[in-house]
Amino acid sequence: MDKKKSLLIDCSDAAKCCDKKQYNEASVTEKLKMLLHLIYCKKCRKYSSHNNRLTELINQSKLQTCTENEKKIWKEKIEKEITNI
Amino acid sequence: MSTNKIDPNKWVDKYSDYLFNFTIVRVNDREIAHDLISETFLAGLKSMKNFKGEATERTWLISILKRKIIDHYRKSNSKKGRAEVKIQYNDDSNEGDWLEENAPDRFDKTAEDIMENEELGIAILNCMEHLNEKQAKIFKMKTIDGFDTEAICNEFNITPSNLWVIIHRARTSLAQCLEKNWF
Repeated sequence: MDKKKSLLIDCSDAAKCCDKKQYNEASVTEKLKMLLHLIYCKKCRKYSSHNNRLTELINQSKLQTCTENEKKIWKEKIEKEITNI
Repeated sequence: MSTNKIDPNKWVDKYSDYLFNFTIVRVNDREIAHDLISETFLAGLKSMKNFKGEATERTWLISILKRKIIDHYRKSNSKKGRAEVKIQYNDDSNEGDWLEENAPDRFDKTAEDIMENEELGIAILNCMEHLNEKQAKIFKMKTIDGFDTEAICNEFNITPSNLWVIIHRARTSLAQCLEKNWF
């Protein structure tokens, strides 16, 4: 059977779709196929619930990253100081 | 036994996100956080010879940063004290009330919110230590900075499939690491 046309997907495709869904990048068809897979796959249900929870936690934590520019300034300061020591 | 070595050239890449998130929840101002971290790095370089290698480099930098944050609050508090002297605080409507409460409150969240978010943020960053450098970088770009799949693929010269494999591994590892305390 043509893999693309089949409604039944395997665990790795379901996981990939679940990951994409966390970033709102899964299409409607992909999501439907995943939901269908989740009905009969306990392992992927667990992965999916953990994955959703992880997204929730990351949003809740309000983590920020430093910009490349900020890092550059720090690196320059450190380099300058090292040459002075 | 001295097991932990110091390498200042890697400080920024290895610890800046960790130090930054540690600071920002405490001072709530990006610019101040940036300056405090600069001071921390410089103070670290100056006292490098005192590093005994008993703690990890990161723990050691955090201990310097904590001092810097305390100093920052001391300085801003002493400024606040001076300003208060000049204020006429017993006008008609507000007789004799101490104007301390008019000073800006630095914490617009409750202490509990701050503690919980901070613990969570630090827990996530700690778990990211288990990822390799490339995985962590790509995961942060995608998840925290919200970059497009395409932009990341171009920067790292990888295919979208590669990207999703990396994201999947990172998410599995993080979920496992956080499972015990946060799920």
